[in-house]
Amino acid sequence: MKKIIIVFIGILLLCGCSSKSYENGEINVLNWSSYIPYEIISNFEKEYSIKVNYGTYSSNEELLAKIASSKNGTYDLIFPSDYMVELMISRDMLEKMDKSQIDNFSNINPMFLNQKFDPNNDYSIPFLAATSVIAVNRDRVKDEINSYNDLLNSKYKNNIVLLDDQRIVIGMALQANGFDMNSTDSKKLEIAKKWLLKLYGNVKAFDSDSPKTFLMTNEVDIGVIWNAEATLAHEDNKNIEIIYPSDGFALSLDNYVLVKGAKNKENAYKFINYLLRHDINREITNYYPYLNTTISNMNVDMNDLFNIFLNSSYVENIGSDISKYDKIWAEIK
Amino acid sequence: MKNNKIFKTIFTLPILVYTFILIVLPLLYILFLSFCTSDSYGGIIYEFTFSNYIKIFDLTYLKILFKSALIGVITTIICILISYPFALILRRKSAHIQNLVTKLIMIPFLTNSLIRTYGWIILLRKNGIINNGLIMGGLTSSPLNLMYNRFGIVVGMVYTLLPFMLLPICSSVFEINNDLIEAAKDLGAKPLQIFRKIIIPETISGVFNGSLMVFIPAIGYFFITDILGGGKIMIIGNLIKNQFLTARNWPFGSAISIFLIIITFLLVKLYKRLGGKMDDLGGF
Repeated sequence: MKKIIIVFIGILLLCGCSSKSYENGEINVLNWSSYIPYEIISNFEKEYSIKVNYGTYSSNEELLAKIASSKNGTYDLIFPSDYMVELMISRDMLEKMDKSQIDNFSNINPMFLNQKFDPNNDYSIPFLAATSVIAVNRDRVKDEINSYNDLLNSKYKNNIVLLDDQRIVIGMALQANGFDMNSTDSKKLEIAKKWLLKLYGNVKAFDSDSPKTFLMTNEVDIGVIWNAEATLAHEDNKNIEIIYPSDGFALSLDNYVLVKGAKNKENAYKFINYLLRHDINREITNYYPYLNTTISNMNVDMNDLFNIFLNSSYVENIGSDISKYDKIWAEIK
Repeated sequence: MKNNKIFKTIFTLPILVYTFILIVLPLLYILFLSFCTSDSYGGIIYEFTFSNYIKIFDLTYLKILFKSALIGVITTIICILISYPFALILRRKSAHIQNLVTKLIMIPFLTNSLIRTYGWIILLRKNGIINNGLIMGGLTSSPLNLMYNRFGIVVGMVYTLLPFMLLPICSSVFEINNDLIEAAKDLGAKPLQIFRKIIIPETISGVFNGSLMVFIPAIGYFFITDILGGGKIMIIGNLIKNQFLTARNWPFGSAISIFLIIITFLLVKLYKRLGGKMDDLGGF
């Protein structure tokens, strides 16, 4: 018994010794789950000798709750989406960005700068963008599909996967009827609800975690999902076609922002600069094929990007009208 | 004797502190929140109101309540139908086998229920093991819809919650005094009469105990409706989760939670009135 204890303590000691020390301190990062490959983070730690304490979240609301309930200075760098940046600015939760500290800022594609949620990019720097798209398995669906209204065809019973996100799905129903996807008009929402009730019979599942799996396993043939998921499904099966719906679609832009009271600003700037570096940045979108926001690594051509900006809308803060959406969501399901 | 008292205090104190900080305080906070309102950004406005409770009785939410209850009742009934015969058969086996089987029931519980639920996807999906087996056996020509509907949800619920029914029913069935049954036989009772007059009255509290333990989680386990129901059917658990995560309406979410607690209390009251003991409820 004694021997076992001695060996055990020895192992513990060895483990203790092998842990690296970081000369240049640390940063506390909260990011979306599966957004930056692990190797990139550990390479940064080695290169700059900065420890990255990396946590994840899976929705903007979860991020908001985490930041609001933690002590000032707990987190340095976070990655909220457009509307959440706006909300956090209005609640004075963010630190202004000193862009002169970030050399690679010049690499950002100007198309993604000066968006209305942060007009001068005082607080935020674009990280990655996503659009909702229609993905269709062309092995099994031959009909022409351009619009959300094409999905109402009763042929597709139990054959569609949608994002489990009330703003995106109800927004899509609004767009299908020619309305703005952020509309809070009760009459328009009522029309959208009726449209969704019609579509419901064709929906196999609502899933935000991994809707691509539904397409890749032939569980469904059509999905309205994020572009990165659709691209991964396409890489798995070349006959999965990605379609930008003619009625419009959702655009979501995630950003680097510093939390108010961040203790490791310098290190956070270094980390942002590192992630914006040409080669590193390319690796991120090779791994997770969202829209790259830099000039040197664009993964769609300029024309397509123009079209995307022309036809898409951001999810906007709609204040207490969110309860209307929530009620429709409860009525549909 | 005095020593004993000190010991008792020392040993119960951590549990009392634990219960107070981690259970009583959060519940009081939820009760408090349920009478507040939320602003447009999800912040909480400290103004006293009953509106959250009134909102629960909106037709939309009543429908969700009803749907949840339906899933809960179906799950409970299926669990009883599986557990009761199982316990009666196991009763005749030796204590050794009873022990072994009870442990086997507990073993899956050592794995995370979320992972076990994901496991069902492999079995139930369109080109999953069950559908492929049925097609190969010529029993069906096109794959059946075994999940992403109410059926899938009930399968997941029954699987996850079955032990909560099995264990109380088993313990009450094992406790039936054999002499009673022998005596009834000697007096000429038929098996059905024995079942109705002895076994059911002796085990009804176990059944009700199990039903409480199954029904209440079944209306709240949102991860099962999300995974095996494909997020298509909303139960109370999903509704509460949405209030906290997407609708940013914590007060309304709290009010639904308190409403759920009240329902639980009423069911426990009913359980006591039917002669159930509180000790059995927490003590298997």
